[in-house]
Amino acid sequence: MGTIGQDIRFGVRMLAKHRLTTVVCVAALALGIGANTAMFSLAEAFLLHPVPLENANRIVALVYSPVGANGTSFGQDQSPVAPATYLDWKKEAHSFDEITAYAWDELNLTGNPAPQKVQAFKVSANFFETVQVQPQLGRMFLAEEEEPGKDQEIILGHALWEQRYASDPHVVGKNIKVGGKSFTIVGVMAKGFDFPKPAEAWIPLSFDAKERLQRDSRWLFVLGRLKPGVPFTLGAAEMQSIAQRQTEAYPDTNKGFRLYPRPLEEFATGDLTRQYTFLLLGAVGFVLLIACADVANVQFARVTGRQKELAVRTAMGASRSRIIRQLLIESILLSLAGAAFGLVIAQWWVYLILNHMPPEVARFIAGWNTISLDANAFLFTLAIAVASGIVSGIAPSWLHSDTQISETLKESGRGASTGPSRHRLRSVLVVAEIALALVLLVGAGLLVKGFRALIVVHENYHPESVLTLTLSLPEDQYRQKPGRAAFYAQTLERLAAIPRIQSAALATYVPYANGGGAGVTPFTIEGRAPEERGEAISSIVETVSPNYFRLMNIGLRGGRELNESDADATVPVADISRLVATRYFPGENPIGRKIKIGKVDSEGAWMTIVGIVDDIHYTWINKQELPTIYRSYRQAPPFYGSLILRAEGNPITFVPAVRSAVAAVDPDLPLFDVLPFDKVITDSIVGLAYVAAMMAILGLIALVLASVGIYGVMSYSVGERTHEIGVRMAMGATSKDVLRLILRNGMSLTIVGMAIGLPLALGFAYLLSSLLFGVKAADPFAFLGLPLLLAGVATVACYLPARRAVRLDPLAALRYE
Amino acid sequence: MEPLIQMRNLEKVYEAGGSKFYVLRRISLDIQPGEFVTFMGPSGAGKSTLLSIIGMLDGSWTGEYYFNGEPVHRLNVKKRNELHKANIGFVFQSYHLIDNLTVFENLEIPLSYKNVPHKERVSLVCDILDRFNIVGKKDLFPNQLSGGQQQLVGVARAVIQSPKLILADEPTGNLHSAQGEEIMELFRKLNEAGTSIIQVTHSERNAAYSHRVIQLKDGWVVSETSNAARVV
Ligand SMILES: Nc1ncnc2c1ncn2[C@@H]1O[C@H](COP(=O)(O)OP(=O)(O)OP(=O)(O)O)[C@@H](O)[C@H]1O
Ligand SMILES: [Mg+2]
Repeated sequence: MGTIGQDIRFGVRMLAKHRLTTVVCVAALALGIGANTAMFSLAEAFLLHPVPLENANRIVALVYSPVGANGTSFGQDQSPVAPATYLDWKKEAHSFDEITAYAWDELNLTGNPAPQKVQAFKVSANFFETVQVQPQLGRMFLAEEEEPGKDQEIILGHALWEQRYASDPHVVGKNIKVGGKSFTIVGVMAKGFDFPKPAEAWIPLSFDAKERLQRDSRWLFVLGRLKPGVPFTLGAAEMQSIAQRQTEAYPDTNKGFRLYPRPLEEFATGDLTRQYTFLLLGAVGFVLLIACADVANVQFARVTGRQKELAVRTAMGASRSRIIRQLLIESILLSLAGAAFGLVIAQWWVYLILNHMPPEVARFIAGWNTISLDANAFLFTLAIAVASGIVSGIAPSWLHSDTQISETLKESGRGASTGPSRHRLRSVLVVAEIALALVLLVGAGLLVKGFRALIVVHENYHPESVLTLTLSLPEDQYRQKPGRAAFYAQTLERLAAIPRIQSAALATYVPYANGGGAGVTPFTIEGRAPEERGEAISSIVETVSPNYFRLMNIGLRGGRELNESDADATVPVADISRLVATRYFPGENPIGRKIKIGKVDSEGAWMTIVGIVDDIHYTWINKQELPTIYRSYRQAPPFYGSLILRAEGNPITFVPAVRSAVAAVDPDLPLFDVLPFDKVITDSIVGLAYVAAMMAILGLIALVLASVGIYGVMSYSVGERTHEIGVRMAMGATSKDVLRLILRNGMSLTIVGMAIGLPLALGFAYLLSSLLFGVKAADPFAFLGLPLLLAGVATVACYLPARRAVRLDPLAALRYE
Repeated sequence: MEPLIQMRNLEKVYEAGGSKFYVLRRISLDIQPGEFVTFMGPSGAGKSTLLSIIGMLDGSWTGEYYFNGEPVHRLNVKKRNELHKANIGFVFQSYHLIDNLTVFENLEIPLSYKNVPHKERVSLVCDILDRFNIVGKKDLFPNQLSGGQQQLVGVARAVIQSPKLILADEPTGNLHSAQGEEIMELFRKLNEAGTSIIQVTHSERNAAYSHRVIQLKDGWVVSETSNAARVV
């Protein structure tokens, strides 16, 4: 065996001998490393391969972003592209081999077997060529299939093919009914391909003559594949200049938006997921640092206890580097043991993460199905284990070589004291631990509070007794407005007649449903310019039945609510939320004013504002509430809407009655997303719940690790000062004096740590408060309660060793020398 | 013949709170290869300090020091360490065996720091266990040995790498006289076989084993006596 083997053997023996400290260190490292490995698995999925494409890093997503008042774009609001804009790009851009577009679409597969709604995407013919993926069976779409009338082909996703067509190998070429029309199956994609997530099928994207000229109707997502050798920045710059030219050419439609080219991976994951992933990565990094500081402190104590051994080794010819190697091997052994347990913890953590995510949410999350402890996670764990070993071992072993070997070896025992630099470093470590733990605790506290604030907002709806469901009226059958209005009126009436259903309402967007995806639409105020301070006047536009406000407990603040007599024949009216009033009618009475959806010259009617209602919150993603305009469902009956029912009792038990009530009005209409409202809400915030829960756990771990650190340092220093304490007590110091002596030492470290941690935590809090609804940076709970908690735990951690010091028998302590 | 150790005006100072405190004053010494020298003197005279300078564990002093012709005062830490590793063995009053290593492993230590290959290490350790008659103890830990046995291992550890020079700081200080004598006999044999030895002792009996006694006091060399009445 080489000399390294010898060092390892000795290291193992040393660790086995100091069993308690070894267990503490391994546990601390296991917690730290486990959290990092688990987070790495998530980050790998979200940041490194969120899309199932080989060439994802060559693909650029070309989306728009509305420009805010201050000229910056809202990163989160990514808005699609209008057809004419897209067609221009295809002609003008030179940096890309392919430019392609897709649009969300939902299909009703009718005929045999039972009707089924599937998530489909309309895609340009070159879509699959752009992402360089071949169908498993059949072919891609052809260029001529982009023509209206020739576009009735469908490519099936693997899962749909398996489930609905029993993996029929001869399915290609068959005709199926889609929304009543005949479509030809031309291909089947390979297993696992569901891009854009969560695609179940693809159909051709075609534009009619009118659509080809559209610049203000944005509904396409555009992707470009960079030519080989063209870097992202170059492609992005070219597109920016094209977009700039378009804005100059078509200011009416293109102003107020800015092109926002992004690498596909970033676009697929989305900014919020990315931000929260980075947040959690930072948090687990902090936890690992705290664990390393703990281990470093233990190593310091150990090295100090072993000065004589190390001096003897030096006298026997060990060079400084050999001594450092010996000590480093020991701390790397420690962290490898920590990593072994850490992998178990990570496995468990990943299991929890995967198992608590509702599948209907997971299918929208890019990269979700690739989360696992794979070989990369394993390598990562190994790497951070070795790194932690080095980080926690290097300072102690380095400082060792400070000591005067000849002193230590002299017989008087004079040399055994520790140098001041070592004391200082141990104190620095504890201070850093406390500062880091405080930052984490405050971050966790704020997130949990923000999350709680969201729950409180929801409680206002009493969602536990509400059922929601969505339907979409076939365009052909319900082309006429009165037909749609009649359908809703009859359906609502029948629903309300179900026993123990208190009321049934209609709304185009249910808050929190579909990820809260209620987009804002520009509108015009009579007698006003279309823009204010460079910002388009815009609002969420809801179409509701009048009882919606009461059902959702949305309060009236002025004027009147919509009512059933606001119908086709009467004056078009609207209610507005308070934000519309305060933002667009400051100091004015909006009631009686006229507004119109879209531009002055757009088709819709001018609506008279008749009432003001409370704002509501549509999604946790929005930091603030958004302005909302409510139209009457009889005056603007939508094709697509949600029914909302307030029930007495568990809403899910009403589903059969609700289905038959709707079927009584239109037997062929499929209902989807039939869910209790509280389920809709929890699904919409489950991601945030994850972040909050993880942060809370990490904060707790940080608290425990930091107190272990303080405890370790204090009990070590008590041990070191045994003689001093004995002498003091022999000289008449009372136990109170001794207690004060030790506590003062420990508490001053805590206070310095908190003094450093608090400003950091405040900065962190500002970051968070810009990220999340309901989080205020200056939060008394986070900045008073949590620091007090930390101080309390730290006091206990100091008190325990101090008590041991008090119990010392002075004579025994003196003999100890 | 070139002296093994040659010192000229070697001085060592401690500085504490601005004031200087001389521990060794203008030491000039010559020690020949094969010599057995004793340092004596009252407590605090600087004997141990001088020994660790000779052993190159302590590098902060002024003056000139040649070891085997090499100017130690001009060597950097690494070179000094190599010189020390190759030529010098230490024996301590309180043995300084490593508690967590067996006798066998303790003996292996100096060899492993010289990167002696494993096979050779084992055979050297076995030889020395044999020579010192402690084969039966090889798997015991130091706390399972008597003081005399521990010091035996201590000496064995010092000689295992066949050093030119053995430095021993009160090697029998913690031992009964019988055990002490056994160690001194060992030193005598080693010296006769050619190893130079420098010891520090308070005992006249032990001093009688050496060729020359050098007296130190307050950091000065106060006398040198050649030992005519050497125990034979
Ligand atoms: N770190 C230090 N700082 C200041 N003075 C020191 C230090 N170490 C040793 N000394 C002083 O150096 C002098 C010599 O010490 P040394 O240990 O060499 O004496 P010694 O001759 O070996 O004594 P003994 O016989 O008691 O072992 C002493 O006066 C001691 O006080
Ligand atoms: Mg001494």
